[in-house]
Amino acid sequence: MNLTLGIFIGILLITLGITYWAARRTHTTSDFYAADGQLTAAQNGFALAGDWCSAAAFLGFTGLTALYGMDGAFYALGPLVAFCTVLFLIAEPMRNTGKYTLGDVIRSRMQTRTSLLAAIAGTVVVNFAYLMPQMAGAGVLVRLLTGISYDWAVLLVGVSMIVYVAFGGMLATTWVQIVKAGLMLSAGAIMLVMILSLVHFNPLTLFADAEQKYTAKYLLPGNYLKNPFDQISLGLGYTLGLAGLPHVMTRFYTVPDAKTARRSVVWVMFLAGAFFAGTTAFGLAAANYVGQDVIRAADTGGNLTLPLLAQYLGGGKDSFGGNLMLGFVAAVAVATILAVVSALTLSTSGAIAHDFYVNWVKRGQVDGKQEVWIARIAAVVIGVLAIALGILAQGVNDAVLVILAICVAASANFPVLVLSLFWRRFNTGGVVGGMTVGLLSSVVLAMIGPAMLGADALWPLVNPTVVSLPLGFLGAVLGTLISGRDVENEKRFDAFLLQVHTGMTSR
Amino acid sequence: MARNGTSLEAAHALVKELIAEKLKYLVPMTIIFIVSYIGLTVLAGFAKDLMGIKIVGSVNVGFALIAFNYLLSWALAIVYGRLAADKFDPLAARAAIEISGRGN
Repeated sequence: MNLTLGIFIGILLITLGITYWAARRTHTTSDFYAADGQLTAAQNGFALAGDWCSAAAFLGFTGLTALYGMDGAFYALGPLVAFCTVLFLIAEPMRNTGKYTLGDVIRSRMQTRTSLLAAIAGTVVVNFAYLMPQMAGAGVLVRLLTGISYDWAVLLVGVSMIVYVAFGGMLATTWVQIVKAGLMLSAGAIMLVMILSLVHFNPLTLFADAEQKYTAKYLLPGNYLKNPFDQISLGLGYTLGLAGLPHVMTRFYTVPDAKTARRSVVWVMFLAGAFFAGTTAFGLAAANYVGQDVIRAADTGGNLTLPLLAQYLGGGKDSFGGNLMLGFVAAVAVATILAVVSALTLSTSGAIAHDFYVNWVKRGQVDGKQEVWIARIAAVVIGVLAIALGILAQGVNDAVLVILAICVAASANFPVLVLSLFWRRFNTGGVVGGMTVGLLSSVVLAMIGPAMLGADALWPLVNPTVVSLPLGFLGAVLGTLISGRDVENEKRFDAFLLQVHTGMTSR
Repeated sequence: MARNGTSLEAAHALVKELIAEKLKYLVPMTIIFIVSYIGLTVLAGFAKDLMGIKIVGSVNVGFALIAFNYLLSWALAIVYGRLAADKFDPLAARAAIEISGRGN
């Protein structure tokens, strides 16, 4: 385990070096939230891949495939398909209408204070629901890999994240993501080549061996997701929830224009898509070579499948190669957590400092220099809160929180964002209606479902998106119709459309 | 900097044209990927036997459809990039010129 600890410290030092470099270049508010909009399509594509491949995703997908077969492959496919929605509907309009946050887009459409508050609520709930399990996951993973205690692990991750964000802003967060994505993709490529050489470059052998070892049932759907509607919820949550995750969407502000935003989505679709397809191969290989019993013995949820497979491919338990591979994959997992929690903290600080304090409380009357400092202070406060929640969350079921984050993103943020961009009659009442109904239905249904209450669940689905998403849209439409027409807002819509589709303002 | 009423109206008209053009391509493309992916999850939930029919070796319909969805998503991304560059960007640029009096 000393080798792992060494690689882990190495990664911390590299990321702190990046932060020092980034901090010297971060002066204005635009530097802090959006890296001054100066990234290239490839840089943002790698960073998006970093954001979107959280540790829960790439450790989780591999583990699910190893233990439950096809359902794991479903989980891995969703994130790629999700980017079709983002590419067609969201990326370019976001770039054209906002500055730093999701709240910017809603504010620029509605120009009301109430709608801004609703957007802030959506961002903060989603980000914290996502941040808490990431912190808890960081604690468990760092403890497992390096041997330091859970509380210290959370504290170490939390303090690093605060340093990256508060000093280096979006530039540091982005480069931490790029380094992590680069490490992750190279680890994936190396492992894929090793697996393929084991099966003599015939991938069909992976399936045949798995069938022989675990019977044909293993390669069928429904081993993990027993309720058919949970399958559909998962699909909906992914394809539409991604478009409502604020920390991923704000990445489109880091590029100079809509065309670059578009190209960065194509980059991430190939990078992350290929990696996720790889996790299916890793899962099957792990089931075949490491074995489900060994995987379950290490962690019942299968989260250590990928490190175990790496160790096997490197030469096994007591070999230097095996421990080197294990250490490398473990370090990638830790770097992933650091990068994702940083992005979440930055995006939350945008909602609190930029949307709430500057634009809501101060009505925009804050000078640029002051705003950067407010943003940094917000990042520190959010980071401290995240550490506290992470320590409290030890042993709490974090699966329910991840589901909740994606579900709220799909059921509250997504309807409000899409209707703001495309529906002329949509108004402040609709924003409030969609946000409230989407949020409440997600939270209530997730809390009374089997993920939280187990066998005593009052409601059969783990993931309520299939019900809460239509409810969110219904709330948005009813809110719009009940609150009456906002004629001024409808008149402004032509000017807003011009901005959505060309990035030009006529005001 | 021509910013009189006529050029604003012209820009708004071009944006309408651009939206119509986008809808013409993006609505079918969106329907294709939603049907293909959500359809896959529906089959997984309700048609397990169909998903289990073997195609090549031990690879069954389910895994083949998963592979198809990967290829479809990548193909749609490339098609969208082409469409945007060939059809959407020129219209957006013309609208931008009407507004600002200069190129984008």
